[in-house]
Amino acid sequence: MAALTQPLHAYLALSRASYRRQRAYGAANIAGLLTNGFFGVVRSFVFIALYRARPVAEGYDLMDALTYVWISQSLIMPVYMWGWQEIALTVRTGDVVTDLSRPLNYFGYWLSRDLGRALYHILFRMAPTILLGLLIFHIELPGGTGWLLFSVGLLLAIVVSFCMRFIVNLSAFWLSDIRGVNGMMMLTINLLSGFIVPVEFLPSWLRAAAELLPFASIIHVPVQLFLGRAAGLEALGLIGGQLAWAAVLGAGAAVTLRAAWRKLVIQGG
Amino acid sequence: MDSLSLYLRLVSARIRGQMQYRVSFVLDVLSNFLITFVDLIGILVLFATFHDLAGWRVGEVVVLYGVVGLALGIATTVGAGFDEAATLVRLGEFDRLLTRPLPVFVQVMASDFQLRRLGRTLQAAVALGIGLAWADVAWSAASVGVLLAAVVGTTLVFLTVLVIGATLCFWTVETSEVQNIFTYGGSELGSFPVHIYSPWLRLVFVYAVPLALTSYYPALYVLRKPDPLGGPSWLSFVGPLASAAFFILGLAAWGYGIRHYRSTGS
Repeated sequence: MAALTQPLHAYLALSRASYRRQRAYGAANIAGLLTNGFFGVVRSFVFIALYRARPVAEGYDLMDALTYVWISQSLIMPVYMWGWQEIALTVRTGDVVTDLSRPLNYFGYWLSRDLGRALYHILFRMAPTILLGLLIFHIELPGGTGWLLFSVGLLLAIVVSFCMRFIVNLSAFWLSDIRGVNGMMMLTINLLSGFIVPVEFLPSWLRAAAELLPFASIIHVPVQLFLGRAAGLEALGLIGGQLAWAAVLGAGAAVTLRAAWRKLVIQGG
Repeated sequence: MDSLSLYLRLVSARIRGQMQYRVSFVLDVLSNFLITFVDLIGILVLFATFHDLAGWRVGEVVVLYGVVGLALGIATTVGAGFDEAATLVRLGEFDRLLTRPLPVFVQVMASDFQLRRLGRTLQAAVALGIGLAWADVAWSAASVGVLLAAVVGTTLVFLTVLVIGATLCFWTVETSEVQNIFTYGGSELGSFPVHIYSPWLRLVFVYAVPLALTSYYPALYVLRKPDPLGGPSWLSFVGPLASAAFFILGLAAWGYGIRHYRSTGS
Protein backbone atom coordinates (compact mmCIF):
# COMPACT_ATOMS: atom_id res chain seq x y z
CA MET A 1 0.00 0.00 0.00
CA ALA A 2 2.81 2.36 0.92
CA ALA A 3 4.33 1.75 -2.48
CA LEU A 4 1.07 2.89 -4.05
CA THR A 5 0.44 5.97 -1.96
CA GLN A 6 3.99 7.22 -2.00
CA PRO A 7 4.04 8.25 -5.66
CA LEU A 8 0.73 10.06 -5.21
CA HIS A 9 2.34 12.04 -2.40
CA ALA A 10 5.26 12.76 -4.67
CA TYR A 11 2.98 14.04 -7.43
CA LEU A 12 1.05 16.22 -4.99
CA ALA A 13 4.30 17.61 -3.62
CA LEU A 14 5.36 18.44 -7.19
CA SER A 15 2.07 20.28 -7.78
CA ARG A 16 2.44 22.22 -4.55
CA ALA A 17 6.03 23.19 -5.31
CA SER A 18 5.07 24.30 -8.80
CA TYR A 19 2.19 26.35 -7.40
CA ARG A 20 4.53 28.04 -4.92
CA ARG A 21 7.11 28.69 -7.61
CA GLN A 22 4.61 30.91 -9.44
CA ARG A 23 4.54 33.25 -6.43
CA ALA A 24 8.03 34.39 -7.38
CA TYR A 25 6.54 36.05 -10.47
CA GLY A 26 4.12 38.19 -8.48
CA ALA A 27 4.88 41.51 -10.17
CA ALA A 28 4.87 39.99 -13.65
CA ASN A 29 1.55 38.36 -12.84
CA ILE A 30 0.00 41.69 -11.90
CA ALA A 31 1.31 43.26 -15.10
CA GLY A 32 -0.05 40.30 -17.07
CA LEU A 33 -3.41 40.60 -15.37
CA LEU A 34 -3.58 44.28 -16.31
CA THR A 35 -2.67 43.40 -19.91
CA ASN A 36 -5.40 40.70 -20.12
CA GLY A 37 -7.80 43.22 -18.61
CA PHE A 38 -6.78 45.88 -21.13
CA PHE A 39 -7.34 43.51 -24.05
CA GLY A 40 -10.68 42.59 -22.50
CA VAL A 41 -11.70 46.25 -22.37
CA VAL A 42 -10.61 46.97 -25.97
CA ARG A 43 -12.30 43.88 -27.40
CA SER A 44 -15.46 44.63 -25.39
CA PHE A 45 -15.70 48.10 -26.94
CA VAL A 46 -15.21 46.57 -30.41
CA PHE A 47 -18.14 44.20 -29.84
CA ILE A 48 -20.28 46.99 -28.36
CA ALA A 49 -19.70 49.03 -31.54
CA LEU A 50 -20.34 46.04 -33.83
CA TYR A 51 -23.60 45.12 -32.08
CA ARG A 52 -25.03 48.60 -32.66
CA ALA A 53 -25.94 47.43 -36.17
CA ARG A 54 -27.65 44.17 -35.18
CA PRO A 55 -28.81 42.69 -31.85
CA VAL A 56 -27.88 39.03 -32.42
CA ALA A 57 -25.16 37.34 -34.47
CA GLU A 58 -24.71 33.57 -34.76
CA GLY A 59 -26.81 33.13 -31.63
CA TYR A 60 -24.68 35.54 -29.57
CA ASP A 61 -26.29 38.68 -28.23
CA LEU A 62 -24.07 41.52 -26.99
CA MET A 63 -23.94 40.21 -23.43
CA ASP A 64 -22.90 36.74 -24.67
CA ALA A 65 -20.17 38.34 -26.79
CA LEU A 66 -18.85 40.39 -23.85
CA THR A 67 -18.87 37.34 -21.60
CA TYR A 68 -17.05 35.42 -24.35
CA VAL A 69 -14.39 38.17 -24.50
CA TRP A 70 -13.69 38.07 -20.78
CA ILE A 71 -13.79 34.29 -20.36
CA SER A 72 -11.48 33.75 -23.34
CA GLN A 73 -9.06 36.34 -21.91
CA SER A 74 -9.25 34.70 -18.47
CA LEU A 75 -8.44 31.26 -19.95
CA ILE A 76 -5.12 32.35 -21.51
CA MET A 77 -3.02 31.64 -18.44
CA PRO A 78 -4.70 28.52 -16.97
CA VAL A 79 -4.41 26.71 -20.34
CA TYR A 80 -1.04 28.38 -20.95
CA MET A 81 -1.70 28.99 -24.61
CA TRP A 82 1.49 30.79 -25.48
CA GLY A 83 4.98 29.43 -25.85
CA TRP A 84 5.66 26.95 -23.05
CA GLN A 85 9.16 25.50 -23.58
CA GLU A 86 10.13 24.09 -20.19
CA ILE A 87 10.61 20.48 -21.29
CA ALA A 88 12.41 21.56 -24.46
CA LEU A 89 14.85 23.51 -22.30
CA THR A 90 15.64 20.42 -20.21
CA VAL A 91 16.38 18.56 -23.45
CA ARG A 92 18.84 21.26 -24.44
CA THR A 93 20.57 21.39 -21.05
CA GLY A 94 20.56 17.62 -20.56
CA ASP A 95 18.49 17.83 -17.35
CA VAL A 96 15.97 15.64 -19.15
CA VAL A 97 18.12 12.64 -18.22
CA THR A 98 17.66 13.32 -14.51
CA ASP A 99 13.93 13.78 -15.01
CA LEU A 100 13.62 10.56 -17.00
CA SER A 101 15.49 8.54 -14.38
CA ARG A 102 13.24 9.58 -11.51
CA PRO A 103 11.12 6.77 -10.03
CA LEU A 104 8.06 8.62 -11.28
CA ASN A 105 6.11 8.52 -14.47
CA TYR A 106 7.66 11.17 -16.71
CA PHE A 107 4.31 12.32 -18.12
CA GLY A 108 2.82 12.34 -14.62
CA TYR A 109 5.80 14.31 -13.33
CA TRP A 110 5.21 17.16 -15.79
CA LEU A 111 1.42 16.96 -15.59
CA SER A 112 1.48 17.36 -11.78
CA ARG A 113 3.75 20.35 -12.14
CA ASP A 114 1.49 21.85 -14.78
CA LEU A 115 -1.64 21.36 -12.68
CA GLY A 116 0.00 23.14 -9.73
CA ARG A 117 0.91 26.04 -12.02
CA ALA A 118 -2.60 26.06 -13.49
CA LEU A 119 -4.20 26.27 -10.03
CA TYR A 120 -2.15 29.37 -9.28
CA HIS A 121 -3.21 30.92 -12.58
CA ILE A 122 -6.86 30.05 -11.98
CA LEU A 123 -6.80 31.79 -8.60
CA PHE A 124 -4.64 34.78 -9.41
CA ARG A 125 -5.15 35.38 -13.14
CA MET A 126 -8.44 33.85 -14.21
CA ALA A 127 -10.58 34.78 -11.22
CA PRO A 128 -9.48 38.46 -11.14
CA THR A 129 -9.94 38.74 -14.92
CA ILE A 130 -13.51 37.46 -14.66
CA LEU A 131 -14.04 39.85 -11.75
CA LEU A 132 -12.84 42.77 -13.92
CA GLY A 133 -15.32 41.78 -16.65
CA LEU A 134 -18.05 41.58 -14.05
CA LEU A 135 -17.23 45.00 -12.58
CA ILE A 136 -16.63 46.91 -15.82
CA PHE A 137 -19.03 45.26 -18.30
CA HIS A 138 -21.40 43.33 -15.98
CA ILE A 139 -20.84 40.04 -17.79
CA GLU A 140 -23.20 37.11 -17.12
CA LEU A 141 -22.17 34.50 -14.58
CA PRO A 142 -23.43 30.92 -14.78
CA GLY A 143 -25.73 29.32 -12.19
CA GLY A 144 -24.85 26.43 -9.85
CA THR A 145 -24.73 23.62 -12.44
CA GLY A 146 -23.09 26.03 -14.87
CA TRP A 147 -20.17 26.56 -12.50
CA LEU A 148 -19.85 22.80 -11.98
CA LEU A 149 -19.84 22.07 -15.74
CA PHE A 150 -17.42 24.95 -16.36
CA SER A 151 -15.04 23.65 -13.67
CA VAL A 152 -14.95 20.19 -15.23
CA GLY A 153 -14.51 21.72 -18.70
CA LEU A 154 -11.71 23.95 -17.42
CA LEU A 155 -9.82 21.03 -15.88
CA LEU A 156 -10.10 19.04 -19.11
CA ALA A 157 -9.09 22.09 -21.16
CA ILE A 158 -5.90 22.30 -19.10
CA VAL A 159 -5.20 18.57 -19.56
CA VAL A 160 -5.82 18.68 -23.34
CA SER A 161 -3.61 21.76 -23.69
CA PHE A 162 -0.94 20.10 -21.55
CA CYS A 163 -0.88 17.01 -23.80
CA MET A 164 -0.39 19.23 -26.88
CA ARG A 165 2.36 21.24 -25.21
CA PHE A 166 4.02 18.03 -24.00
CA ILE A 167 4.15 16.61 -27.55
CA VAL A 168 5.37 19.90 -29.03
CA ASN A 169 8.10 20.12 -26.38
CA LEU A 170 9.25 16.57 -27.08
CA SER A 171 9.94 17.62 -30.67
CA ALA A 172 13.09 19.13 -29.13
CA PHE A 173 14.54 15.60 -29.28
CA TRP A 174 14.60 15.95 -33.07
CA LEU A 175 14.86 19.73 -33.58
CA SER A 176 17.50 22.05 -32.18
CA ASP A 177 14.98 24.88 -31.88
CA ILE A 178 11.28 24.32 -31.27
CA ARG A 179 10.27 27.98 -31.66
CA GLY A 180 8.97 27.33 -35.17
CA VAL A 181 6.83 24.36 -34.10
CA ASN A 182 5.64 26.31 -31.07
CA GLY A 183 4.66 29.21 -33.32
CA MET A 184 2.70 26.96 -35.65
CA MET A 185 0.82 25.48 -32.71
CA MET A 186 0.10 28.94 -31.29
CA LEU A 187 -1.37 30.21 -34.51
CA THR A 188 -3.51 27.09 -34.96
CA ILE A 189 -4.79 27.44 -31.40
CA ASN A 190 -5.46 31.16 -31.88
CA LEU A 191 -7.51 30.54 -34.98
CA LEU A 192 -9.27 27.24 -34.27
CA SER A 193 -9.78 27.24 -30.50
CA GLY A 194 -12.28 30.09 -30.63
CA PHE A 195 -9.81 32.55 -29.13
CA ILE A 196 -9.62 35.18 -31.89
CA VAL A 197 -13.35 34.98 -32.65
CA PRO A 198 -16.00 32.54 -31.43
CA VAL A 199 -15.93 29.32 -33.46
CA GLU A 200 -19.52 30.00 -34.64
CA PHE A 201 -18.35 33.18 -36.41
CA LEU A 202 -15.81 31.35 -38.60
CA PRO A 203 -16.64 30.56 -42.25
CA SER A 204 -18.48 27.22 -42.36
CA TRP A 205 -15.54 25.14 -43.66
CA LEU A 206 -13.22 26.54 -40.99
CA ARG A 207 -15.88 26.10 -38.36
CA ALA A 208 -16.27 22.46 -39.36
CA ALA A 209 -12.51 21.99 -39.03
CA ALA A 210 -12.51 23.70 -35.63
CA GLU A 211 -15.28 21.43 -34.37
CA LEU A 212 -13.47 18.31 -35.59
CA LEU A 213 -10.07 19.18 -34.11
CA PRO A 214 -8.91 19.17 -30.46
CA PHE A 215 -8.19 22.93 -30.26
CA ALA A 216 -11.81 23.84 -29.48
CA SER A 217 -11.49 21.82 -26.25
CA ILE A 218 -9.12 24.50 -24.92
CA ILE A 219 -11.20 27.68 -25.26
CA HIS A 220 -14.46 27.11 -27.13
CA VAL A 221 -15.80 24.34 -24.88
CA PRO A 222 -15.16 26.04 -21.52
CA VAL A 223 -16.67 29.25 -22.92
CA GLN A 224 -19.79 27.39 -24.10
CA LEU A 225 -20.16 25.85 -20.65
CA PHE A 226 -19.68 29.22 -18.94
CA LEU A 227 -22.24 30.89 -21.21
CA GLY A 228 -24.68 28.03 -20.67
CA ARG A 229 -25.07 27.83 -24.45
CA ALA A 230 -24.90 24.06 -24.11
CA ALA A 231 -27.15 22.53 -21.47
CA GLY A 232 -27.91 19.00 -20.27
CA LEU A 233 -26.90 16.26 -22.68
CA GLU A 234 -25.28 18.73 -25.07
CA ALA A 235 -23.00 19.96 -22.29
CA LEU A 236 -22.11 16.39 -21.36
CA GLY A 237 -21.37 15.76 -25.05
CA LEU A 238 -18.90 18.67 -25.09
CA ILE A 239 -17.19 17.34 -21.97
CA GLY A 240 -17.17 13.85 -23.49
CA GLY A 241 -15.41 15.32 -26.53
CA GLN A 242 -12.77 16.87 -24.29
CA LEU A 243 -12.32 13.53 -22.49
CA ALA A 244 -11.88 11.75 -25.80
CA TRP A 245 -9.26 14.28 -26.93
CA ALA A 246 -7.45 14.02 -23.59
CA ALA A 247 -7.30 10.23 -24.07
CA VAL A 248 -6.16 10.42 -27.72
CA LEU A 249 -3.55 13.11 -27.07
CA GLY A 250 -2.43 11.38 -23.88
CA ALA A 251 -1.80 8.22 -25.92
CA GLY A 252 -0.07 10.35 -28.55
CA ALA A 253 2.14 11.79 -25.82
CA ALA A 254 3.06 8.27 -24.65
CA VAL A 255 3.98 7.20 -28.18
CA THR A 256 6.03 10.34 -28.76
CA LEU A 257 7.80 9.86 -25.44
CA ARG A 258 8.75 6.29 -26.35
CA ALA A 259 10.16 7.45 -29.69
CA ALA A 260 12.04 10.28 -27.98
CA TRP A 261 13.45 7.82 -25.43
CA ARG A 262 14.90 5.75 -28.29
CA LYS A 263 16.31 8.88 -29.88
CA LEU A 264 17.96 10.05 -26.66
CA VAL A 265 21.72 10.35 -26.85
CA ILE A 266 23.49 11.12 -23.60
CA GLN A 267 26.67 13.08 -24.11
CA GLY A 268 29.18 11.91 -21.53
CA GLY A 269 30.25 14.52 -19.04
CA MET B 1 32.72 57.01 -34.95
CA ASP B 2 29.29 58.48 -34.84
CA SER B 3 26.46 56.67 -33.10
CA LEU B 4 24.52 55.80 -36.22
CA SER B 5 27.32 54.03 -38.06
CA LEU B 6 28.27 52.26 -34.85
CA TYR B 7 24.68 51.15 -34.41
CA LEU B 8 24.52 49.90 -38.00
CA ARG B 9 27.75 47.94 -37.59
CA LEU B 10 26.60 46.27 -34.37
CA VAL B 11 23.21 45.47 -35.80
CA SER B 12 24.54 44.04 -39.04
CA ALA B 13 26.77 41.74 -36.99
CA ARG B 14 23.67 40.60 -35.08
CA ILE B 15 21.74 40.04 -38.28
CA ARG B 16 24.55 37.89 -39.68
CA GLY B 17 24.46 35.90 -36.43
CA GLN B 18 20.72 35.36 -36.62
CA MET B 19 20.99 34.21 -40.23
CA GLN B 20 23.38 31.37 -39.28
CA TYR B 21 20.60 28.89 -38.67
CA ARG B 22 18.84 29.52 -41.95
CA VAL B 23 15.99 27.00 -41.58
CA SER B 24 15.19 27.99 -38.03
CA PHE B 25 15.26 31.66 -39.02
CA VAL B 26 12.94 31.20 -41.98
CA LEU B 27 10.50 29.18 -39.84
CA ASP B 28 10.62 31.89 -37.20
CA VAL B 29 9.83 34.70 -39.64
CA LEU B 30 7.14 32.58 -41.26
CA SER B 31 5.45 31.72 -37.97
CA ASN B 32 5.64 35.36 -36.89
CA PHE B 33 4.03 36.31 -40.19
CA LEU B 34 1.27 33.73 -39.82
CA ILE B 35 0.57 34.39 -36.13
CA THR B 36 -0.08 38.05 -36.79
CA PHE B 37 -1.97 37.11 -39.95
CA VAL B 38 -4.49 35.31 -37.72
CA ASP B 39 -5.28 38.68 -36.09
CA LEU B 40 -6.16 40.03 -39.51
CA ILE B 41 -8.34 36.99 -40.21
CA GLY B 42 -10.11 37.76 -36.93
CA ILE B 43 -10.98 41.26 -38.18
CA LEU B 44 -12.12 39.94 -41.57
CA VAL B 45 -14.30 37.29 -39.92
CA LEU B 46 -15.97 39.89 -37.68
CA PHE B 47 -16.68 42.08 -40.71
CA ALA B 48 -18.11 39.11 -42.63
CA THR B 49 -20.70 38.90 -39.85
CA PHE B 50 -21.26 42.56 -39.00
CA HIS B 51 -20.19 44.54 -42.15
CA ASP B 52 -19.79 47.85 -40.32
CA LEU B 53 -17.94 49.10 -37.25
CA ALA B 54 -19.33 52.43 -36.10
CA GLY B 55 -19.31 53.81 -39.66
CA TRP B 56 -16.05 52.16 -40.75
CA ARG B 57 -15.87 49.57 -43.52
CA VAL B 58 -13.54 46.60 -43.50
CA GLY B 59 -10.88 48.16 -45.79
CA GLU B 60 -10.70 51.28 -43.65
CA VAL B 61 -10.17 49.30 -40.45
CA VAL B 62 -7.52 47.19 -42.21
CA VAL B 63 -5.65 50.40 -43.19
CA LEU B 64 -5.59 51.42 -39.52
CA TYR B 65 -4.57 47.89 -38.50
CA GLY B 66 -1.78 47.95 -41.10
CA VAL B 67 -0.36 51.31 -40.02
CA VAL B 68 -0.32 50.37 -36.34
CA GLY B 69 0.95 46.83 -36.99
CA LEU B 70 3.72 48.08 -39.27
CA ALA B 71 4.81 50.57 -36.62
CA LEU B 72 4.76 47.95 -33.86
CA GLY B 73 6.70 45.53 -36.07
CA ILE B 74 9.44 48.07 -36.78
CA ALA B 75 9.57 49.33 -33.17
CA THR B 76 9.85 45.84 -31.65
CA THR B 77 12.48 44.82 -34.21
CA VAL B 78 14.64 47.89 -33.66
CA GLY B 79 13.88 48.35 -29.95
CA ALA B 80 14.24 44.72 -28.85
CA GLY B 81 17.28 45.74 -26.77
CA PHE B 82 15.05 47.87 -24.54
CA ASP B 83 12.80 44.86 -24.00
CA GLU B 84 15.85 43.00 -22.70
CA ALA B 85 17.16 45.85 -20.55
CA ALA B 86 15.92 44.17 -17.35
CA THR B 87 18.19 41.20 -18.05
CA LEU B 88 21.14 43.54 -18.58
CA VAL B 89 20.42 45.25 -15.27
CA ARG B 90 19.84 42.05 -13.31
CA LEU B 91 23.03 40.37 -14.53
CA GLY B 92 25.10 43.46 -13.89
CA GLU B 93 25.90 43.70 -17.61
CA PHE B 94 24.56 47.20 -17.60
CA ASP B 95 27.53 48.41 -15.52
CA ARG B 96 29.79 47.34 -18.33
CA LEU B 97 27.85 49.43 -20.86
CA LEU B 98 28.30 52.47 -18.63
CA THR B 99 32.07 52.15 -18.67
CA ARG B 100 32.28 52.32 -22.45
CA PRO B 101 32.82 55.69 -24.12
CA LEU B 102 29.68 55.33 -26.23
CA PRO B 103 26.10 56.51 -25.76
CA VAL B 104 24.32 53.96 -23.54
CA PHE B 105 21.12 54.50 -25.49
CA VAL B 106 22.79 53.29 -28.69
CA GLN B 107 24.44 50.38 -26.91
CA VAL B 108 21.19 49.11 -25.42
CA MET B 109 19.36 49.57 -28.70
CA ALA B 110 22.11 47.64 -30.50
CA SER B 111 22.22 44.92 -27.81
CA ASP B 112 19.40 43.11 -29.56
CA PHE B 113 17.78 43.26 -32.98
CA GLN B 114 15.03 40.78 -33.62
CA LEU B 115 15.09 40.15 -37.33
CA ARG B 116 12.46 37.41 -36.94
CA ARG B 117 9.96 40.11 -36.02
CA LEU B 118 10.22 41.02 -39.67
CA GLY B 119 7.37 38.51 -39.90
CA ARG B 120 4.99 40.88 -38.13
CA THR B 121 6.29 43.85 -40.12
CA LEU B 122 5.84 42.11 -43.47
CA GLN B 123 2.39 40.92 -42.52
CA ALA B 124 1.31 44.42 -41.52
CA ALA B 125 2.75 45.84 -44.76
CA VAL B 126 0.70 43.33 -46.76
CA ALA B 127 -2.38 44.19 -44.68
CA LEU B 128 -1.82 47.90 -45.27
CA GLY B 129 -1.60 47.27 -49.02
CA ILE B 130 -4.83 45.26 -48.98
CA GLY B 131 -6.59 47.88 -46.87
CA LEU B 132 -5.52 50.73 -49.15
CA ALA B 133 -6.74 48.78 -52.18
CA TRP B 134 -10.14 48.12 -50.59
CA ALA B 135 -10.72 51.53 -49.04
CA ASP B 136 -11.59 54.72 -50.84
CA VAL B 137 -8.33 56.62 -50.55
CA ALA B 138 -7.91 60.24 -51.59
CA TRP B 139 -4.54 59.74 -53.28
CA SER B 140 -2.40 62.87 -53.45
CA ALA B 141 1.09 63.91 -52.44
CA ALA B 142 -0.40 65.15 -49.18
CA SER B 143 -2.15 61.88 -48.34
CA VAL B 144 0.99 59.84 -49.10
CA GLY B 145 2.94 62.19 -46.83
CA VAL B 146 0.37 61.92 -44.04
CA LEU B 147 0.39 58.13 -44.35
CA LEU B 148 4.19 57.91 -44.17
CA ALA B 149 4.25 60.33 -41.24
CA ALA B 150 1.64 58.14 -39.53
CA VAL B 151 3.84 55.04 -39.79
CA VAL B 152 6.96 56.90 -38.62
CA GLY B 153 5.13 58.71 -35.81
CA THR B 154 3.43 55.57 -34.52
CA THR B 155 6.76 53.71 -34.63
CA LEU B 156 8.27 56.47 -32.53
CA VAL B 157 5.41 56.22 -30.03
CA PHE B 158 5.91 52.45 -29.61
CA LEU B 159 9.69 52.85 -29.41
CA THR B 160 9.25 55.46 -26.68
CA VAL B 161 7.02 53.11 -24.70
CA LEU B 162 9.80 50.48 -24.87
CA VAL B 163 12.37 53.06 -23.72
CA ILE B 164 10.18 54.13 -20.79
CA GLY B 165 9.57 50.45 -19.92
CA ALA B 166 13.34 49.88 -19.90
CA THR B 167 13.82 52.98 -17.75
CA LEU B 168 11.41 51.58 -15.16
CA CYS B 169 13.54 48.47 -14.68
CA PHE B 170 16.38 50.60 -13.30
CA TRP B 171 14.17 50.67 -10.22
CA THR B 172 12.19 47.44 -10.47
CA VAL B 173 15.14 45.32 -11.74
CA GLU B 174 12.70 42.79 -13.20
CA THR B 175 10.87 43.51 -16.45
CA SER B 176 7.77 45.32 -15.40
CA GLU B 177 5.87 44.12 -18.49
CA VAL B 178 3.41 46.93 -17.88
CA GLN B 179 4.63 48.41 -21.15
CA ASN B 180 2.93 45.47 -22.92
CA ILE B 181 -0.34 47.26 -22.27
CA PHE B 182 0.82 50.16 -24.42
CA THR B 183 2.74 48.17 -27.07
CA TYR B 184 0.68 45.05 -27.79
CA GLY B 185 -2.41 46.43 -26.07
CA GLY B 186 -1.94 49.77 -27.81
CA SER B 187 -1.66 48.09 -31.19
CA GLU B 188 -4.90 46.19 -30.53
CA LEU B 189 -6.62 49.41 -29.46
CA GLY B 190 -5.17 51.40 -32.35
CA SER B 191 -6.33 48.82 -34.90
CA PHE B 192 -9.89 50.08 -34.47
CA PRO B 193 -11.23 53.66 -34.77
CA VAL B 194 -10.82 55.35 -31.39
CA HIS B 195 -14.31 56.83 -31.37
CA ILE B 196 -15.65 53.41 -30.30
CA TYR B 197 -13.86 53.65 -26.94
CA SER B 198 -14.96 55.34 -23.75
CA PRO B 199 -13.81 58.95 -23.25
CA TRP B 200 -11.18 58.19 -20.57
CA LEU B 201 -9.54 55.56 -22.75
CA ARG B 202 -9.46 58.02 -25.67
CA LEU B 203 -7.94 60.70 -23.47
CA VAL B 204 -5.07 58.37 -22.50
CA PHE B 205 -4.31 57.54 -26.12
CA VAL B 206 -4.54 61.14 -27.33
CA TYR B 207 -2.78 63.02 -24.54
CA ALA B 208 -0.61 60.54 -22.61
CA VAL B 209 0.52 58.01 -25.24
CA PRO B 210 -0.36 59.92 -28.44
CA LEU B 211 -1.17 56.83 -30.50
CA ALA B 212 -4.51 58.22 -31.69
CA LEU B 213 -2.79 61.37 -32.98
CA THR B 214 -0.25 59.37 -34.99
CA SER B 215 -2.62 56.76 -36.45
CA TYR B 216 -6.37 57.40 -36.16
CA TYR B 217 -6.51 61.11 -37.03
CA PRO B 218 -4.09 60.80 -39.99
CA ALA B 219 -6.20 57.85 -41.20
CA LEU B 220 -9.30 60.07 -41.10
CA TYR B 221 -7.55 62.43 -43.54
CA VAL B 222 -6.25 59.71 -45.87
CA LEU B 223 -9.63 57.93 -45.93
CA ARG B 224 -11.61 61.17 -46.24
CA LYS B 225 -13.68 60.33 -43.20
CA PRO B 226 -15.33 62.89 -40.95
CA ASP B 227 -14.39 62.86 -37.27
CA PRO B 228 -17.52 61.62 -35.48
CA LEU B 229 -16.25 63.36 -32.37
CA GLY B 230 -16.17 66.68 -34.22
CA GLY B 231 -12.52 67.44 -33.51
CA PRO B 232 -10.67 70.15 -35.47
CA SER B 233 -9.20 69.03 -38.81
CA TRP B 234 -5.62 69.95 -37.81
CA LEU B 235 -5.64 66.93 -35.47
CA SER B 236 -4.71 64.87 -38.56
CA PHE B 237 -1.41 66.72 -38.85
CA VAL B 238 -0.08 67.05 -35.30
CA GLY B 239 1.06 63.41 -35.10
CA PRO B 240 4.73 64.07 -36.01
CA LEU B 241 4.94 66.86 -33.45
CA ALA B 242 3.21 64.85 -30.73
CA SER B 243 5.32 61.74 -31.32
CA ALA B 244 8.55 63.79 -31.36
CA ALA B 245 7.56 65.43 -28.07
CA PHE B 246 6.70 62.03 -26.59
CA PHE B 247 10.05 60.62 -27.75
CA ILE B 248 11.96 63.54 -26.19
CA LEU B 249 10.05 62.90 -22.97
CA GLY B 250 11.11 59.24 -23.15
CA LEU B 251 14.75 60.25 -23.71
CA ALA B 252 14.57 62.58 -20.73
CA ALA B 253 13.16 59.79 -18.57
CA TRP B 254 15.93 57.48 -19.80
CA GLY B 255 18.58 60.08 -18.92
CA TYR B 256 17.07 60.54 -15.48
CA GLY B 257 17.02 56.76 -15.01
CA ILE B 258 20.69 56.44 -15.95
CA ARG B 259 21.71 59.19 -13.55
CA HIS B 260 19.89 57.37 -10.75
CA TYR B 261 20.95 53.87 -11.73
CA ARG B 262 22.19 51.75 -8.88
CA SER B 263 23.94 48.55 -9.76
CA THR B 264 22.55 45.26 -8.50
CA GLY B 265 26.12 44.45 -7.48
CA SER B 266 26.13 41.08 -9.21
